[in-house]
Amino acid sequence: MPLLEKFSVAGQLKSGLGHVGKDPTSVVFEKLNSATEGVVEGRTTILAGTNNYLGLTFDPDCIAAGVAAMQAFGTGTTGSRMANGSYAAHGALEAELADLFQCTNAMVFSTGYAANLGVLTALLGKGDAVLLDSDAHASLYDGCRMSDADIYRFKHNDVQSLEKRMARLGDRARRCLIVVEGMYSVLGDCAPLKEIAEIKERFGARLLVDEAHSLGVYGERGCGVAEAEGVLDKVDFTVGTFSKSLGSMGGFCVSENDVLGLFRYVSRPFMFTASPSPAVMATTREALKQLRTRPELKETLWSNARKLYSGLQDLGFELGPEVSPVIAVRCKDRKSALAHWNQLLEAGVYVNMMLPPATPGGASFLRCSISAAHTAEQINTIIERFAELKG
Amino acid sequence: MSNSTEAVGQMLAEILTKYLKNNWADSPSSNKTITPATDMVTELQLDSFQVMEFMLEVEDHYDIAIDLDSLSNIHTITDLAGVVIAAHKD
Repeated sequence: MPLLEKFSVAGQLKSGLGHVGKDPTSVVFEKLNSATEGVVEGRTTILAGTNNYLGLTFDPDCIAAGVAAMQAFGTGTTGSRMANGSYAAHGALEAELADLFQCTNAMVFSTGYAANLGVLTALLGKGDAVLLDSDAHASLYDGCRMSDADIYRFKHNDVQSLEKRMARLGDRARRCLIVVEGMYSVLGDCAPLKEIAEIKERFGARLLVDEAHSLGVYGERGCGVAEAEGVLDKVDFTVGTFSKSLGSMGGFCVSENDVLGLFRYVSRPFMFTASPSPAVMATTREALKQLRTRPELKETLWSNARKLYSGLQDLGFELGPEVSPVIAVRCKDRKSALAHWNQLLEAGVYVNMMLPPATPGGASFLRCSISAAHTAEQINTIIERFAELKG
Repeated sequence: MSNSTEAVGQMLAEILTKYLKNNWADSPSSNKTITPATDMVTELQLDSFQVMEFMLEVEDHYDIAIDLDSLSNIHTITDLAGVVIAAHKD
């Protein structure tokens, strides 16, 4: 097969997306009026697919912190921390993350994707084993695959499936890393972390939890699902991103284990890429401060999530298994998902379209993510627009 | 279990037939006749997700662990039978 022939599959996929209407991958926001409202093709549009859980992207203090950092330290770091040195804010952000998670070590990466690649490739090597939840994010799969470890999947959130596979590893269980997410991004369901942590302890394995979508959403301090489940101290490595609840960019890992400090010398996705920019670090630090000092953000987020979930449930839509800020609406098939997504966009509501193979069970979903910044009126409008899909 | 390639291949064909009927009834491949020579990707047009989900069923049926990397070399049921037999010996 000639080198470029393989792109014919991607080409067919892309053209298929545009058959029913607008291609969901080509949406352009011409203007943003707020964290929850934008303009698409000249239409005012409610943003219900942004993962902007705490609604901090337009927070005046976060913006001011970013502007001040840019004025004081410039637009970019222009290189990696290993080659070009660190800025004071890198260390300050890491100290604040360690303090939030009440652990001794923290490390900042340039994106959440890089954090997962960086941590997994540093942690794992040939002969090690990974037990990976089957619905884990692509960055977790990619990090595991890049590591040369043997990867075994277990059924999504199925504790028995995990336990059976752990038992099959025999003595290798002590060389095993369990890799799961706190809240899963497609259906908004949470991992049974108490049970998973118990298995990890019993077999002498290690546990990594990606709290990308649960940071700022779950737990009293907002550390994620592990905190909410009371097992934060059983998690060996927590990874996450600044690009959801914190409205910024970048990723992190925190751990009580001092080995994390050594990742800086072996983790290529940390060593060979430019470090987060001054503005990114400043807005992240301010958002972290707000996470700690404004508990009402989380309360409003959950109240909004309950409103939207029950509104859509009352309309008879098939939703994800539990109320969460990610609310997935199951569609009959790919074609109806595309048609409904287009209808919603034309009616001024932007949601995400999730199509197989990137979805659990090969199903098609319209995914809403709710924000603390959504108003009651906006949530009512979203529900009304979904009601119109029922004809 | 009988661990000849033919016997394992036959059993895997049965598991896959049942699995497709139970989980992917709407898929055109759910009604196809599956034999050890069937190519899962080109003939059944299973996507990577479906192949990986099927693999979880196979692991539980034989109580074995199949490394994700092994999947890249599996096309036919017979290929998979070889991986199952090897995993059983480990």
